[in-house]
Amino acid sequence: MSIFEYNGSAVVAMVGKNCFAIASDRRLGVQLQTIATDFQRISKIHDRVFIALSGLATDVQTLYQRLVFRHKLYQLREERDMKPETFASLVSAILYEKRFGPYLCQPVIAGLGEDDKPFICTMDSIGAKELAKDFVVSGTASESLYGACEAMYKPDMEAEELFETISQALLSSVDRDCLSGWGGHVYVVTPTEIKERILKGRMD
Amino acid sequence: MKLDTSGFETSMPTIGFGSSNDMLDGFSTVPSFDLPRTTDFDGFQKEAVQMVKPARGTTTLAFIFKEGVMVAADSRASMGGYISSQSVKKIIEINPYMLGTMAGGAADCQFWHRNLGIKCRLHELANKRRISVSGASKLLANMLYSYRGMGLSVGTMIAGWDETGPGLYYVDNEGGRLKGDRFSVGSGSPYAYGVLDSGYKFDMSVEEASELARRSIYHATFRDGASGGVASVYHVGPNGWKKLSGDDVGELHYHYYPVPPAIAEQVMEEAAAE
Repeated sequence: MSIFEYNGSAVVAMVGKNCFAIASDRRLGVQLQTIATDFQRISKIHDRVFIALSGLATDVQTLYQRLVFRHKLYQLREERDMKPETFASLVSAILYEKRFGPYLCQPVIAGLGEDDKPFICTMDSIGAKELAKDFVVSGTASESLYGACEAMYKPDMEAEELFETISQALLSSVDRDCLSGWGGHVYVVTPTEIKERILKGRMD
Repeated sequence: MKLDTSGFETSMPTIGFGSSNDMLDGFSTVPSFDLPRTTDFDGFQKEAVQMVKPARGTTTLAFIFKEGVMVAADSRASMGGYISSQSVKKIIEINPYMLGTMAGGAADCQFWHRNLGIKCRLHELANKRRISVSGASKLLANMLYSYRGMGLSVGTMIAGWDETGPGLYYVDNEGGRLKGDRFSVGSGSPYAYGVLDSGYKFDMSVEEASELARRSIYHATFRDGASGGVASVYHVGPNGWKKLSGDDVGELHYHYYPVPPAIAEQVMEEAAAE
């Protein structure tokens, strides 16, 4: 198994009507052994930008800490929050800095930009940005996730329907992956509120 | 290099004067495995062994107790990280009073167990009595020993009831054969052993033993990524084997550890809004 599959992860983000949803699994494992079922993979940068990191768990935590630091510095200097597009460029630059000894994670960034327009993107471990209009996936279950999202996604879904869709896509995909699952964590973000929900999934 | 195929020899002599007779092919000729045509046989062998090696992703267990033998297994088949099936039958019914468990390469286990079933039946017909568990496991162990080093992956337990009472043997592709009271095989076996060893008593009823077996498999599926699906539990008694249960492990989790519904907070919120 490759180093990206050492801890196991599944992350997906979807765009809705003036809202977005970002979801991840909750397993932390060491190859086949499950160590924890409450691992935080999705982190809030500020109220309108979320980042979820898949891949090696230690790099997930360290990279998150570095990004929070950089955003706080930005807030002090610019006296405002970062736009999601700007944040994505920042993540890309930080990852490319380590081009010959990379952070072994693949981020998924989701945010609400100007005029509450939802923005999602994913990157590989050295910062190649991939923007999408509908959904992005990452992690060991990414192939199953692509299939599930492709089948279930519809454009312009409202927050509740988006939550249902992303949850079903996540749960059905991780049920085909040995290394991810054991529950789910979903954030649905609209201009007015952030709803965080834990999913009851198969614990095997 | 000619493989030892004496295990396959039938007692019927070949008919004809040595030349192949199309009508009788498949009935009286001695089947043998073809060798691959390659220049680097050792390298090919090594690759073949490596291909099957990581495949013992499973949890199976069996134990002897007062009322017979309890056999349980999960039902997940994995290919590296991908789950190829959640509904594989890992407990193989060799004959109405003997069960075999599957761990390792699925094809290997299925083929060799069926082969063992054939040999057991032939033994019955030739000797007018059922084969013992000890005899059956020895047949399998000897067959596997002759293919030692060729990359078979079989980690099986033969459980049954014969004249001497309940019998349980562990047989693997190295040709090892162990008699014992409690075994667990597969990547999830350490977790299953933890629950099985701490809950085991010889004097258990069938219900207690089946609950212990089910719990052990459940705990293994929770911790081990390569085990999951359905926990099947079989009991082998003096009258043969009987399937006791097949519970979906996802549901078992919430049965053992129910999530307390957070009703109170919702009620309070509604009252405040009014």
